[in-house]
Amino acid sequence: MNPTTDVLRTLDEVLSLGGRAMKFTRDTPLLGAVPELDSMAVVTLITSLEERFGITVDDDEIDGATFASVGSLVDFVVAKCS
Amino acid sequence: MAAVPHFASTDPQRNDPFDAAAGALASRFCVFHAALGALRGLVLHVHPFAEEMNKSRRMAALQSRALAAAGFAVLQFDLLGCGDSAGDFGDATWDHWKADTAWAAGYLRDRAGAPVSTTLWLWGHRVGALLAAQAADDIAAATGSAPSLLLWQPSGSGKTALQQFLRLKAAAEMLDGGSKGVIASLKLELSAGRPVEVAGYRLHAAMAAGLEAATLAPPRHTARVVWLEVALGEAPELLPASRLALERWRKAGWAVDAATVPGPAFWQTTEIEDAPALVERSLQALAA
Repeated sequence: MNPTTDVLRTLDEVLSLGGRAMKFTRDTPLLGAVPELDSMAVVTLITSLEERFGITVDDDEIDGATFASVGSLVDFVVAKCS
Repeated sequence: MAAVPHFASTDPQRNDPFDAAAGALASRFCVFHAALGALRGLVLHVHPFAEEMNKSRRMAALQSRALAAAGFAVLQFDLLGCGDSAGDFGDATWDHWKADTAWAAGYLRDRAGAPVSTTLWLWGHRVGALLAAQAADDIAAATGSAPSLLLWQPSGSGKTALQQFLRLKAAAEMLDGGSKGVIASLKLELSAGRPVEVAGYRLHAAMAAGLEAATLAPPRHTARVVWLEVALGEAPELLPASRLALERWRKAGWAVDAATVPGPAFWQTTEIEDAPALVERSLQALAA
């Protein structure tokens, strides 16, 4: 499994981006840059990542640094999986 | 057959649900879909929690119409404090909603003019599935007839559902560049019996407690159980947590018809989306 692809697929599904997320790179900024990412979308994204990767996100990890970019989000998920 | 939107009173003594002085909190918004042709069964929709309900409106309407066309009388209704029903969200407790669900089952049967022998399906979506499973025993006890369950992407537990709801506040704070520890302080307020405000919804402490305690346990009395989930991909599978839950239901003796169909998580996607495969599979299951 390629975690970046899986994270992007989750982003695309949750935010109804119609495939746009699949062109994102590690450097693509998320928070403040993707207008679809409102509070409900953030929560849905967290839940979907938890379900897809079998991880548990702690309350304190709902943090701006985690959701800053595709790269930071992928690193967070990979660290959680290991 | 057209759907009939109307208000109904949970208090049978009050025929005027618009009388703000007396019957105001008893008024529930309902949409009744009459069965086309001979009546095959009754279906009561139990909607999801907070914003998920709004996002699911379209799919609930599509499914209701499809069922009505196939001979089922369907009732959609808004729980106390939700949608167009009376009351504020913050007034409602879990027990109110359980009572609402039981009331609506009786109201649907009356409205459809159906004898007690007509099969009743409780069609619960997400947190609505928890509510339906809990209300099933109450309805069986009150009527002597066990309802069947159609569960759409049931919330695994009320505890998880509550956690996800409280996270909305943490996510909003994060988007504002705000502080941590938001969820901990919300939980502290609730445990002190005080309401909290999350994403524009005031949450009663008793609602939080009731939801948190709700589990998707197999009811003592039920006829048939259909458990459907949607997921993207060619051959989607049930969620791992659902597979574990289903084992418990099967051990308890229920032959659960469980399946995952391809489709988006329309109750939470940013845009309003359709999952036609879910409508089709639900119809198939109920008509079987």
